[in-house]
Amino acid sequence: MAAATNVVEVRDLCKYFPIKAGLFGRVVGQVHAVENVSFSIKRGTTMGLVGESGCGKTTIGKTLLNLTPKTSGEVIFNGDTHLDALKGKALREFRPKMQIIFQDPYSSLSPRLPVGEIIGEAVREHHLVPEAEFDAYISRVMKSCGLHDYQKDRYPHEFSGGQRQRICIARAIALNPDFIVCDEPVSALDVSIQAQIINLLEDLQKEYNLTYLFISHDLSVVQHISDTVGVMYLGNMVEFADKTEIFANPLHPYTQALFSAIPVPDPTVKMNRIILEGSIPSPANPPSGCKFHTRCRLCREVCAQKAPKTMDMGNGHRVTCHMYDPESGYGKA
Amino acid sequence: MSENNRFANNSEQLSLDDGRRVKVLSPGMMVFKRFIRNKLAIAGIIILVFMFVFSFFGGLLSPYRQDQVFYKVDSANKEYASAVVNTEYRFLTKDGSALSTLVRANFSRVVKDVGDESLAFTADGTEWTITRLGDSFYAIGSAQELATVALLGKAADVKPNAGVELSDDVKNAAIEAVKANQLTFDVEGQGYVLTRGKAKSYTLSTVGEIAIASLLAYDAHSADDAATIGSYAFRRNGELALKSGETQFEADGETFTMEVEDAQNALIYRAGESDTPVATVSNVIVNPVNNGVFLPTDYKSAVAEAIAEKQTAFEYLNADGESEKHTIVMRGNNYIIYTEQQTTLIDMYALPSLAHPLGTDDHGMDVMTRLMYGGRISLMVGFVVMILENLLGIVVGGVSGYFGGWVDTLLMRFVDLFNSIPYYPIMIITGSIMDAFEINPYTRIFLLMAIMGVMGWTGVARVVRGQILSLREQDFMIATEATGIRVSRRIFRHLVPNVMPLLIVQATMGLGSIILTEATLSFLGLGIKYPLASWGSIINAASNIYVMTNFWFIWIPAGILIVLTVLGFNFVGDGLRDAFDPKMKR
Repeated sequence: MAAATNVVEVRDLCKYFPIKAGLFGRVVGQVHAVENVSFSIKRGTTMGLVGESGCGKTTIGKTLLNLTPKTSGEVIFNGDTHLDALKGKALREFRPKMQIIFQDPYSSLSPRLPVGEIIGEAVREHHLVPEAEFDAYISRVMKSCGLHDYQKDRYPHEFSGGQRQRICIARAIALNPDFIVCDEPVSALDVSIQAQIINLLEDLQKEYNLTYLFISHDLSVVQHISDTVGVMYLGNMVEFADKTEIFANPLHPYTQALFSAIPVPDPTVKMNRIILEGSIPSPANPPSGCKFHTRCRLCREVCAQKAPKTMDMGNGHRVTCHMYDPESGYGKA
Repeated sequence: MSENNRFANNSEQLSLDDGRRVKVLSPGMMVFKRFIRNKLAIAGIIILVFMFVFSFFGGLLSPYRQDQVFYKVDSANKEYASAVVNTEYRFLTKDGSALSTLVRANFSRVVKDVGDESLAFTADGTEWTITRLGDSFYAIGSAQELATVALLGKAADVKPNAGVELSDDVKNAAIEAVKANQLTFDVEGQGYVLTRGKAKSYTLSTVGEIAIASLLAYDAHSADDAATIGSYAFRRNGELALKSGETQFEADGETFTMEVEDAQNALIYRAGESDTPVATVSNVIVNPVNNGVFLPTDYKSAVAEAIAEKQTAFEYLNADGESEKHTIVMRGNNYIIYTEQQTTLIDMYALPSLAHPLGTDDHGMDVMTRLMYGGRISLMVGFVVMILENLLGIVVGGVSGYFGGWVDTLLMRFVDLFNSIPYYPIMIITGSIMDAFEINPYTRIFLLMAIMGVMGWTGVARVVRGQILSLREQDFMIATEATGIRVSRRIFRHLVPNVMPLLIVQATMGLGSIILTEATLSFLGLGIKYPLASWGSIINAASNIYVMTNFWFIWIPAGILIVLTVLGFNFVGDGLRDAFDPKMKR
């Protein structure tokens, strides 16, 4: 199992949410939240997933963990486990291998349970450690997440946002997972706390050889923590590459526009921003052809007619744009 | 510098896990702390504790049972006897003789015209004679045919009937009478009557006395004397003596003396006895109002005397030697005699006293005791119905909210259906069904609770469903799924504790309204039935305007108890709601 280099492999993942209307809940349309997304994450690495609000980042995270059922596509864990094949008890027992950290540290902790219980509940459920070592184990996990032993009996309402996020992390770490979806874990925290949490996540990654899917709309954070980065727009992954590659050489017009918005903490540097016009179209009624063509500054006729293919530009740098497809007819016009 | 000093002086450092730090409170403890700071909630708790002690311990301490009826002894001026001055003739026939009703009626009709004369009349085909023996005292005789008297010119011939022998005196007297055109004559004290027949012939008949008629009534002093005074000779001779003013007479070989009050009233003694009379003679007839009451002769004579003297009240020494006061009221020809009599009555509507702090109700039961037992039922109904409603509501609402989808739709439409059943008509119908089947009051309570529970769960179901729907989407519920915690644990460890506060508040507030509903139903006579009590059924007494205006102590306390209890539950519910609200400061 450990031999598999890819902890997660995603192939053509699609998630549509039905739009129901009328008295009998007739399906009148579908929200194309995630469409034909493929990527893989190597063991011990972090993949950053960036994109605007509503582009389907969180849906990918939840669909990966089978917290919401996917419409089509494949998710393979550790090279051999197909999540679709797992049902009921088997799925439940596989759960500890893949964890999630939520954006909102306030709503993700049950207000009626003490912290020790929140962290240890699933540990006890899955019999991960013998009952005699249970307390010591929880203490160790809490300590490694920067929490104190004596806080075990306290309740979530007594903690600050950063501490709560540490509790969430401890809850995930305690299950000894291979893979953690970090669903914007720092966006609800203030900047100084963000750094602490990011550093904690990095330390834990080293300690436990964890693999992260780090969902964020904060490009600087993603640049800091990720090994690979995927850029999403309206349910599609438009570009995927190594961090250094993509930040040095963004190919997709959307990625370029996105990265141009990263603030540079130097007043002497003239920023060359690419301003996107209009707003993100409705995923229930996506534009024809390339979904980005309504806002793309390099849009040509073909973009509105044909969906672009994903092109591998070398070094695992994949981009979905007609500009890089010699057969698309983009160049001729 | 001063800043540094301040820290420097504080030589003792407190570490984060120091025991002296403010103790961390669990959410439950925090709720409790916030709750006990709420004065109104504490007032509510005190009210409720009082109600529970009053109802559950009060009933044990009360010296009375809830259905114990109290009686009181009261003296009332009641009708005791009635008297009438007799104007109807009473007849006494000789042994072996009978007077038909027709004869009696004819006598009564004729005797008014008689005056002092003797008279004959015909009835039942027989001649009857009335002979005046004294004032309003007559003998009635029936004629017996003896002979035919034929008038032949100036001569007359008496032809006796077969088997009859007539003395010459009688024959001559008959002839004389015929000649003189007299129709009655006496020979040696025996009366004879001539009846005109056809063709100048007369029928001669004797008059045989068969009955006496009198306005006076005879009452035996004791039952032993009943035979004595029933004797014809006694009555005839006695009354003759009375009318003629004599004080002594003989009858059946005994001698009697009379103590005469007036011509109508006398006491008759056996000769030589002067303490106990044999009989009372009076024209006043005295009868007891109640059957089975024996009126002694001296009482009757006292009544007669009082009436004769036109008195409106008299004193009477009864058998125990006590003086009883009787009053006489004239009503038409009758006199009604009233006397103070001791009666045992149900002690209804007794005013508050030491024995009955809140008096007694219309059944003569102690109101205080009934309030205690009624409180038990009211509170018990409240709690049982609340638990029933919540059980049903939590199960249906929980299933609906947790599983969602078509299950949710189906169950919620079912809830809508239930909600559209009109509550009071259903309760009234079931109440009358229970009445029709004459269901035992104890069974009735349980049926009532079951029906109220079944009718009331929908509100709880909706609240639980809504709460669970919103909780289900919370991140911490998703986290439990992500960590692979089993469904039962997710429901009971995570969902239920988070729904609980709302349910507790709802249930507490609901208790008040259930108690009100039960009170309303019992007030309408559909709920708790006699001999059991509930506060509502006690107030039911006030639907009688007489009770409502005159006996406040029967229904006001029950009303106050209901108001206080509902208020108490609402205060506590409010307090709990505030205490559970995490936005409230500690």
